[in-house]
Order: sequence, then C-alpha cells, then structure tokens
Amino acid sequence: MLSILPQLVFTGLGIGAIYAIASLGFVLLIRAANVVNFAQGQFSMLGAYIMLVLLVSVGVPYWLAFILAIIIMAGFGVLFAGAVYWPLRNRGQLPVIISTIGASILLPNAVLAIYGPSPATVSGLFTNPGFMVGSVFVDTQYLSIIVAAGLMVALQYVVFEKTMLGKKLQATSQDKEMASLLGISVAGMVLVTFAYSAALGALAGVLVAPVLFVSVGMGATIALKAFAANIIGGFGSIPGTILGGLIIGLAETLGAAYISSPYKDAFGFIILLLVLLMRPQGLFGELIAEKA
Amino acid sequence: MDTPMTPAAALPIEALAVIPAARWWRGLPAALLALVLVIALTALAPNDSYYLNIVMQAVTYAIGVAGIVVVLGYCGQISLTQAGFMGMGAYVLALLTVRLNVPFFAATIAAMGVCGLFGLLLGFASLRLGGHYLAMVTISFQVILTLVLTNWIDLTGGPDGISGIPRPELLSGPHAYLGLCLVLLVCAVLFTWRLKLSRLGRAMQAVRDNEIAAGTCGIDAFRIKVIAFGISAALGGLGGALFAGAFAYISPDQFTFDESIVMLTMALLGGVQSPFGAVLGTFTLVILPEWLRFLRQAYLAIYGGAVILIMIFLPDGIWGWAARRLYRRPKPVQGRLPPLPLLSGVTGVANGITGENALEIEGLAKHFGGVKAVDGVTFAVRRGSVHALIGPNGSGKTTFLNVISGLYRATAGHVRLGGVVLGTLPPHQRTRLGMTRTFQNIRVFRGLTVLENVMIGAERPGNDVRGGAAVVARALAALDFVGLRHEAGLPVGTLPYGHQRYVEIARALAGSPELLLLDEPAAGLNSTEKQELSLLLRRLKGHGLTIMVIEHDMKLIEAVADHITVLNFGRCIADGAPQAVLTHPEVVAAYLGEPQPA
Amino acid sequence: MNLLQIGALRARYDAGEVLHGLDITVEEGEIVALLGANGAGKTTTLRSISGLLPHASGSIMLGGAPILGKGPGAIVRAGVSHVPEGRRIFPGLTVRENILLGTSNRGRLARATLSDELEEMLTLFPDLRRLVNSLGWMLSGGQLQMVAVARGLMARPRLLLLDEPSLGLAPLIVQQVFRIIGDIRARGTTVLLVEQNAHMALSVADRGYVLENGRVLVSGKPDSLWNDPKVRSAYLGGVVGADV
Repeated sequence: MLSILPQLVFTGLGIGAIYAIASLGFVLLIRAANVVNFAQGQFSMLGAYIMLVLLVSVGVPYWLAFILAIIIMAGFGVLFAGAVYWPLRNRGQLPVIISTIGASILLPNAVLAIYGPSPATVSGLFTNPGFMVGSVFVDTQYLSIIVAAGLMVALQYVVFEKTMLGKKLQATSQDKEMASLLGISVAGMVLVTFAYSAALGALAGVLVAPVLFVSVGMGATIALKAFAANIIGGFGSIPGTILGGLIIGLAETLGAAYISSPYKDAFGFIILLLVLLMRPQGLFGELIAEKA
Repeated sequence: MDTPMTPAAALPIEALAVIPAARWWRGLPAALLALVLVIALTALAPNDSYYLNIVMQAVTYAIGVAGIVVVLGYCGQISLTQAGFMGMGAYVLALLTVRLNVPFFAATIAAMGVCGLFGLLLGFASLRLGGHYLAMVTISFQVILTLVLTNWIDLTGGPDGISGIPRPELLSGPHAYLGLCLVLLVCAVLFTWRLKLSRLGRAMQAVRDNEIAAGTCGIDAFRIKVIAFGISAALGGLGGALFAGAFAYISPDQFTFDESIVMLTMALLGGVQSPFGAVLGTFTLVILPEWLRFLRQAYLAIYGGAVILIMIFLPDGIWGWAARRLYRRPKPVQGRLPPLPLLSGVTGVANGITGENALEIEGLAKHFGGVKAVDGVTFAVRRGSVHALIGPNGSGKTTFLNVISGLYRATAGHVRLGGVVLGTLPPHQRTRLGMTRTFQNIRVFRGLTVLENVMIGAERPGNDVRGGAAVVARALAALDFVGLRHEAGLPVGTLPYGHQRYVEIARALAGSPELLLLDEPAAGLNSTEKQELSLLLRRLKGHGLTIMVIEHDMKLIEAVADHITVLNFGRCIADGAPQAVLTHPEVVAAYLGEPQPA
Repeated sequence: MNLLQIGALRARYDAGEVLHGLDITVEEGEIVALLGANGAGKTTTLRSISGLLPHASGSIMLGGAPILGKGPGAIVRAGVSHVPEGRRIFPGLTVRENILLGTSNRGRLARATLSDELEEMLTLFPDLRRLVNSLGWMLSGGQLQMVAVARGLMARPRLLLLDEPSLGLAPLIVQQVFRIIGDIRARGTTVLLVEQNAHMALSVADRGYVLENGRVLVSGKPDSLWNDPKVRSAYLGGVVGADV
C-alpha cells in the first residue's frame, strides 16, 4: 500500500490546492472587511456553472469560457457585497454571518431551480490526460490546479506587496478609520475585496470542475473546507490558510485510501476538531483577546 | 432596543415585586390553560392523516427550534447542528425501541440524555472561542454525524434508515400521540420561557450581551455557554425522539446541514429571543411550503433569501416585532414609594475577610512586548476609604485596572484582595472574592431591563443573598440608593447615558463588594450629573464601602478622595493626601508639562 | 486670512453632547494650540474637522469653503491632514509604505515623484532613514510619532491636525517632536495642535485655546495663558490654582 503513497500525495496536494485557492478568497474577506463568508464556496459553484453554460449553451471556446466565468463572478462579488454585506455592515459580526449562511442556501437552490439536479461534466483544460513521472501518474488537470494555486499565491504576493492597491487593501484591513483619514475609500476597498474573493472562488470552481462533477452541492463542501483550512492554518493568516488547505486535501486523500473511503469528507473535519481542541489559534495564528 | 418611551415612566411597587421569577408558580396557570386547550383541540381535530402529519412535524420541530432559542437567542452562540441533534435523538430512540425493546418514555429520556451529553462535549470543544469557531465546530459535528448515520450500516441501517418505530402503547393512536407531542411542546415552551427569567437565563443573556462585563459580575462565561449548548441539544433530542415516534421511519437525509439551516430560519423568522417565536416561526415555515407546493423546487432558495431579508429588515423576527409594537408603557407610580432598607452588608464583612487594607499592590508590572504600560507600582488601598488613581492620558491607569480585575495577566508583581493573593485568577473568580467594577465605556446588558441588570450584580457568587425574592429586594435597594428605582422595569438601552452609568454602579453595589472599582465614572456626564455622582460617592463612603476610582475630573476627585495615587509612564510618582499630591511639583509637571517657573 | 474658521460647533457621541458651541479660528501660517484636561473635547474637535464625526453641527470653513458634513476622504482632499492620537501606524506595513500611503488623497503619482517626496521626508526626519524597511510594529513611540507626522505631511495639507503628539513619549523625544513641529510651520504648513502637555504646546504655538467641558474657557497668547489661574485649575482642580 505504501507504493501508492506518492500518487496519493500528488492527488492530495491537488485537491488541497483547490481548497487553498478557495480559502485565499475567504481569508481576504476576513482581513479586509471582517466578514466570515459562509457562501464562499458558492462562488466556486457559480463559476463552474457559468463556465458550463458558456461552453455548452453559448458554445464559447474553452479558454474564453474559463476567463469569462471568472470575470463575471468578480462582478457578482460586487453584487453580493451590496445585497448581503452592505446593509448589515454596522450590526456586528453575527448578523453578517447569518446573512451569508442564507446566501449559501439561496444560491445553490436558485441554480437548482433553474438548471435541475443532474450533475454535469466538463472536460479538462488539456486533451492530454497525463503522463508518468516515476511511479506517479501526473494528471494534467491536477497539475494545472497545483500550478494555478501557486500562481495565485504569487499574484497575491505581488499585488499585496508591490502595488499601491495592495498596500491600501492591507491598510484598510489593519485600521479602517486611519485608512479613511488618509483618503482611502474604505467602501471601495471592501468592494474590490469582494470582487477579488469571488473571482478566486470562481477560479477554484472552474479548475475543479473537470475533476469532480459540476453539481449544486459542490459549493457547500468547498466552503466548509475553506473555512476549516483557515482555522487549521491560523485564522486570518494567508500562508496558514494555504497550508491548511493542503493539509485537508492530503488528509482526505490519504484517509480515504488507508482508512475508509466513505468517510473521506470527515477527515478534514476531524483534523479541524483536533486543532480546535489542542491549538485553537491554528498553526500560524494568534489569539486575539477583547480589551476592556 | 429602540422602543421610544419617556424615562420618567415608572412602575407601581406591586409590579416591582412581581418582576422576574420571584414566584415559583409563574407561568403555570397559563401553561395549564394551554394544556387544556391543546387536549381539547386534539380530541376535536379532524381525522385527516395528512393534516395530522403536518402538525406533528411542526410540533416536533418546534421543540427542537426552542433549543435554538436557548443557545442562540439567550446565549448568543451560533449553533448550526440542531437538526443533527434531532437526528441523534431520533436514532437513539429508534435503536432503543426497535432493536432493544426499551419502552418509549425511557428511550426518550435516554435520547435527551445522550444529546445533552454531546451538546456539553461540543460546547466544551469550542473552548473559549465563540462566534465562527463554534459555528465551525457545530458544522463539523453535523457533517461527521451525517456521514456516520449514512455509512455505519450495521448500527444505523445506512441510507435506508430505520423503520417500524413504535409509539407508547397507550398513546399510539394519531390523536393520542399528537396530544402527547403537544403536551410536551407546552412543557418545552414553559421551560424555555421560565429559563429566560431564571438566574441561569440571566447569566446567559449577560454573556450574550457583554461577555467581559458578565465575567466581572462573577459569571463563568465558559461554563454558561457549555450549559446553554447542553440544554439546546437536549431539546433537539426530545424533538427528534418524538419525530421518530410520529413518523415511524427515519433516515439520515432528514437530518442534514440543510435541515439545520431550515431550523435556524424558523427560529429567526419567529423571533429567536422567545419560545413563542420558535413556535410561530416553525409552524409558519412548515405549513407555508404546503401552500407553496408549486414552488417546491425553489422553496429552499426562498428560505435562503428569507434568512438574508430577515436579518436586514426583521432582526427580531415576527414575535419580536409584534412584542415591540404591543409594548405597554408602565403606568406612573401614584403617591410616595415606601422607603427600602438601606444597602447593607457593603463593608465586606459578608465575605469574612478582615484586615486594614482592602487592596494591596506590590511591584505590579504589565508589559506589552517592549511597551511597559505599568512599570512597578506599589501602594495600598485602606478599607473604607475612597482611593483615587489619576494620571495624564496614556499613563497606564486603565491597563492597571484591567490587570487588577483579571482581564490582563500581570507581567510581574502581586495583588492582594483582603489579604488573599489574586495570582492568575480570572475575572469571575476575583468577583467571587468580593471585587466588582464598572467600565469607562459603560458595559450594561442591553437586552435586559434595569432591574435584571442589577439582579445579576446581586447574584454575584459569594454574595450574601439567598433566593429570588432576596435578590430582587437587594437589587431594588441598590437602585434606590442610586436614585433609579422608578426605572427598574425599563429596558436599560432606553435610558439616557448618565442613568446607564448609574445602573452599572448599582449593579456593582448590589454585589456587596469588598472593593468597588470605578473606571472613569464621570466620563460623558454633564456638570449637573457630575455633582450628583460626587454626592453618590460620598454617600457610599459614608456606608463604609472601599472604593478605588480612576478619574480625570479633578474637582470630583478633590471632593471625594481620601487618598490619591498618581501614575505617569506606568510608574507611581505620588501617593498621599489630596492636598499634598495635587501640589506636588512632579504631578503638576506631569499634567502641565513643566513646573511653574518662579 | 483665516484658513480655518469654526463657528458654534456642537458635537455629540451616543453618550450625549460633548461640544457645546465652540468658536475657533486659525490663521494661515500659524501654530494654534488646543489645550485642556482629558475629556475637555480637544480630540472631538479635531475629529469634527476631519469628518470622522457624523453628528456635528455648526459651521467649519476651510479657506472660506464649508467642510462640515463631508466625509474624511473629501476633507483630506480639500487639504486637511489629521494625525490622530496614538499615531496609528499600520503595524503590518513598513515605514516607507506607511509614509507613501499618506499620498492617497492625491491620486496616482509617478514612481519618481513618490521617491523624491519620500527622500524629502527622510531629510526632515533623519532618524527614520535607517528604519525605512522596518515594519510598523517594531518601532518605538518616538519613531512612530515621526512616521505619523511624515505620513500626514505627504498629503501636502494646507492644515495639519496633530493630536497629542507627546503622548507616552520620553521628555527628550518630546522636545525633538516639537522642534519638528516648528520646522513644519517654517515650511508653510498651518498647524492645529492638540496637547495635554500645556508647557510644550505653548512653547511652540502662536496662540492657544483652553477647553473645559466642551467649551472654550479662555484663549490668547501663550504667556497670558500660562499665567492664567483658570488654566491651572482646569487641569488640576481648585487646589493648584490657589497655590500659585
């Protein structure tokens, strides 16, 4: 059984990379707008469905559908911010969380009503399914997921560390009022963050679509695992959340192979519970206490 | 709480005595009436099994939703697994009755017990983190539970579920069983309603409204949250057990995360603060889809949208909205109020602690990284005195107070309260020893009335009041002392700022403290209010209370302080009688910048 | 010419009204000090000017144009830069990034302009030169204050609002900070300075206002304020006033 370990690790990293991409968007919203977005996974689901519609019904070439889905979802992110977050922005964290929970039910079921329950399949990015590296079959779609995750992390790094916009976003997340005193538009920053998070979610969705079935339920699992990745890695920490996503992906894949396949989804949550019990601030996180 | 009403409205003294759970039979007459009605209705109900099934579903769900009222409405903790507990209760009952032939009622109690236990465990697992952490823990539990129910086929029957679940022998007919469920619903509603008025319920609401202040009132927030979770789980288990008996067949897909969201929506729609809201919301959302059958496909989508809209437009739910519309202003008091016994037991004798100094501080330091906010402070507060702590902005006064009350851990040094070393005790245990405090930016429990706020203070562990009536009496006496007795029944959020400040002081007083810490009590008060505060502090001193007050207002300090300690840059630069301290050149320099040139 | 004219300013927090009708003027090129004990309303006044307080009434004119009621973004673009109490340097960003963010009110600037202006600031605050890549949370109080002022100046303001720059700083550093305030005035920026440390403030200001309980108690030139017994008692109660 140990012989298949490298293969499992590769697959686990691939799946983990999906969760990592989804949770990147999740972390950003926490840091920039203090929003815990339970509907993050729905951005992935919607992105996948939009690509599907563009491919199948409109007949757009693959690469174009891929890009358009992400762009459209960025716009959706702005709408989402306006409808779900903005009216509640001064009411504390709990109402916003509940509102995003509502969105996480509304969106998949709206799609269900329109599109019907049968899952669809989408073909992969490349016609070549994969190639062997030693004993490991490198699936091209998984490879592209890992590469994409790496690119997104790099892109996020560049934007955040090297551009003025990135600095403004960081400043807004660290001290909103001070940012506004400097002339930074806090509302603008929040909207940009929502748009970017939605786009990231959509990217995760269009990348994973060929690997899983495209179904209305895919959002929920991705959302929960993105959330779990965040907590495992340290709430609000970007490197932590990437690591957390990879850990969950590995745990699932290895657990399914070596322990029990039907309980695949549980392994990530078991790790989450262990982390919460033993080190609640996560791998890279810090406990923040309320000041009197 | 924005109900507009004049603060001068007052309650008749009789009403004051009746306010919270002072009478053990409170609510029972109404419950008995409801029971009679319920039994009459079921006897007369039509024999239509479709109709009966719907009502049965609504009733069993409502019991579960009442659990959400407890954990989310009262205690402010997000639980997203109520359907999971219903499922657990249903499966425990089913397994016991079908596989082991355990009698129905025993199995129901077992179901509640198992769920309650898991609720306690889950609450414990959320440790000291609330909000999204608890949400995540509950979701994980729900996901894992669903997986177990679906895949542990030997135990649970897997996706096919368990069928043939029996009902209790004498109540197996549709009307009889429905009657049983309704009776238990009435009991659950009564229990939940009375919980809100009980000491435990007040503690839960305090934790919800202001966890830090709750701690300084002696409430162990962690313990309270765990208990709330346990109760909510047990109610879910009861609902689930009855559900199993009602439909004789259960399967895992009836108790998924989606169903938990549905139950959450029911609670929010009806009004998450009240068991009546739970019933209202549940019945509405069970019956409504039947009328909206044509929207069957989209009804979950509507649920999701409804959650968002409710959060934005109707945060109190239907019941909450109606309750606010129907809120009656209390009638003003006629004639003079009879005098209440003066505040007794404030000298700390109740705590059995003696000694000349109420508080001793030795070499206390608090560093945040490189910043020495408090840098080696030593002084003592004599029992029965008013001791002022002053210093320019940023001198470390508030940090110092937070270390003493246990909100920060000291980097070095000792604090002794009545001779007892406080060490690393958390705030609620320091309160138990006799320390109470107020906060610079007022921390009252906004969801409660004035009287309930002060009752929480009176219910301080270690205080010498026993029993509901004594607690109410002590609270009223404290309010009387600060001059707010006539506002006892008002929601505290409707009071003007200065009065809220007094409520906070009354709350601290009601605990008969060994030491009362006041953090900038004059902040935000106008000059008239400051004069009243000054008089109040002098009256307190006259009763032998030991007070330490942080203040900026020098006129107030001069009027009331026996002794002043001055901090600057985290160090004590003067300590003594007011005259000497306020003319001390270093103190003048600390405030004005440089001593007056000759 | 009056750069800043405040008339009958009333402001409130949830607690209640905090400013009960203030009249303050600041002429171009002046340093005006706003003094008073804690809770007198000094910081509230600055927050009303910079647009952080929605519940303010009365009139605030900048160079003749009304600014009361506008948001912080519009006001900083109009030429008012607020360096708030406690410095509030972004802890996760470097000194360079913090300072450059001070230009956020001026739109996109060329890379060359930005580096020239940063160089200008580092000349004004030479101690920061070696700290340019240090993160905010690593700095000492005095260093933070200099970064905060530099950041405030990058907005090229007509009026600089400085809130308690000496707070929590050692006396030597305080003197350094106030020397810099003098330099700022020499460069042509008008300064409205809030300070609890009356001595330092009056040593550098042209005029001062003393606030008590949300009203102007007394105003005038530094010497007359320093010797006024009302000022002493505003800070230290009746006892000290009598002693002097």
